[in-house]
Amino acid sequence: MSQPDAPFPDFKGLSDDLYQQWERSMATWWDQVLESPALLDATNKSVSGMAHARARYEAQVDEQLLKLHLPTRADITRLGRIAGLLEKRLLEIEDVVLDIKDGLASRDAALARVERETIQARIEAAETRLELRARLDALQAQLQGQLPAQPQSASTEPSAPLVQAAAPATPAPLGAPTAAGSAPLPEPGPARPSSRSGKPHPKTS
Amino acid sequence: MNIAEELERSVELGQFLASRPVARARLGATSHRVIHRQGSSVLRYFPPARGAKVRQPLFISTPLINGWAILDLLPGRSLVGALSAVGVPVYLLDWGVPGASDRGLSLGALIDQRLPRALRRATRHARAEGHLEADGLPAALGYCVGGTFLAMSLARHPGLVDRMALLATPIDFSEGGLLNTWADPERFPVDALIDDLGAFPKELMREAFAWLRPMAQLSKWRSLHARIHEHRFAETWAALERWSTEGVDFPGEAYRAYVHGCYFDNALMGDSWMLDGRPLQLKAATIPARVFAATGDHICPPAAANGLLAAWGGPVEAELLQGGHVSVCLSAALPARLLSWIDA
Repeated sequence: MSQPDAPFPDFKGLSDDLYQQWERSMATWWDQVLESPALLDATNKSVSGMAHARARYEAQVDEQLLKLHLPTRADITRLGRIAGLLEKRLLEIEDVVLDIKDGLASRDAALARVERETIQARIEAAETRLELRARLDALQAQLQGQLPAQPQSASTEPSAPLVQAAAPATPAPLGAPTAAGSAPLPEPGPARPSSRSGKPHPKTS
Repeated sequence: MNIAEELERSVELGQFLASRPVARARLGATSHRVIHRQGSSVLRYFPPARGAKVRQPLFISTPLINGWAILDLLPGRSLVGALSAVGVPVYLLDWGVPGASDRGLSLGALIDQRLPRALRRATRHARAEGHLEADGLPAALGYCVGGTFLAMSLARHPGLVDRMALLATPIDFSEGGLLNTWADPERFPVDALIDDLGAFPKELMREAFAWLRPMAQLSKWRSLHARIHEHRFAETWAALERWSTEGVDFPGEAYRAYVHGCYFDNALMGDSWMLDGRPLQLKAATIPARVFAATGDHICPPAAANGLLAAWGGPVEAELLQGGHVSVCLSAALPARLLSWIDA
């Protein structure tokens, strides 16, 4: 509270300390008072009495206004309540509209996604077919490159050596000579599916 | 004691009060816009700052008994301002000022209709603004009674948010200190008051809070006298005074159900509360929650807030912050703690 070097005692510090002590003791006293059942009962009775008096006053004011054919507080409250109910109903309708809007938006999004996926699948299928066609064209060109030699060798040395050279171990594509050696090669033309069922051949696909 | 200095401070205090600082205080100045209204309540949207990394949106449920501006008191003393500055889109449910026509508004209407609808509108808006994915959900924060309502609402309406934080929110009302003593069912005439007045008046509420700590009223003036030279302190003092005088009448039927359920029966800690014919059980909730309690809170002591640890169905973590019931909202630590919770 007092500083050794100061010529006078620190009255400011002293007053602060005293104030704080007083404040603490008062706070403790107030806590006891405010928890006292006697005070609480008296306060509650007083508040109830005032509330009741106010309610009676408002009722009398309403009565007088009614006699004067003027809108009372109750009338205005009733109007406000009706407006509130209407607003509530509107909000409920708005909720439903927003839900429908959200539902439609998500359905549109889902439809757009399905449509996008379908188009993508069709593009991929078309690309596969184009690739197949290109490979078939290449095979046909390769086969046609061998065509001029085939009739000559067939006329000098019948069947066996040539057939064996041309016949692969796997099934032959597009009517190529088989071990029987008699099937004619097709004319060059547009590419066709490599199997009779129209499906891509497993080797080429 | 420097008498001249004391006199100078007193003169300055007189000049300060003569300038009507409380009436001039401008609260809630952070830029925002209203995106939804229902009755007296308003949903306010505080967009994230431009250039900031956008984070998960935060929905805030404010207390029904006071203005929302405690969360946006002054520039630099604003929770919503601090959060939106770092990229958090904030949606704040301001319950507004219920009028005479709202006296019949039930607690069920507040937690089953107004709050969930505001949450759904906030989520919809956040998705439209690109703050959330198509199936993303916001986080939610409740302060004081707003937090109690939020917990009750989310327990009955799952799937609206992906996590919840409660700030200075009473859940275990048996630990509510002096307020719980006053709300003794044998003494507190809540039914008679509501029958007569139709609402619990803001004047009564303000007096009740003031009498919780009578000495604090004296300390308030003493602090202002001691720190009148500090412009920032005086400005905050005036803004807080303004906020504390702008109370709100608690709608009568909602207040009756709230006092009976929370204070008389402490029903949030149990599983037998039937509200509007439906069970209200916090145990039914599954989302994770976090409790922020304040060390010096005399309105919601930490023990009352930590009731959520036992009552909530999902995982709960608890944090203790420095400050009182009101000052915790203005503390610089709160936005940082909330941000780490949002980013977790």
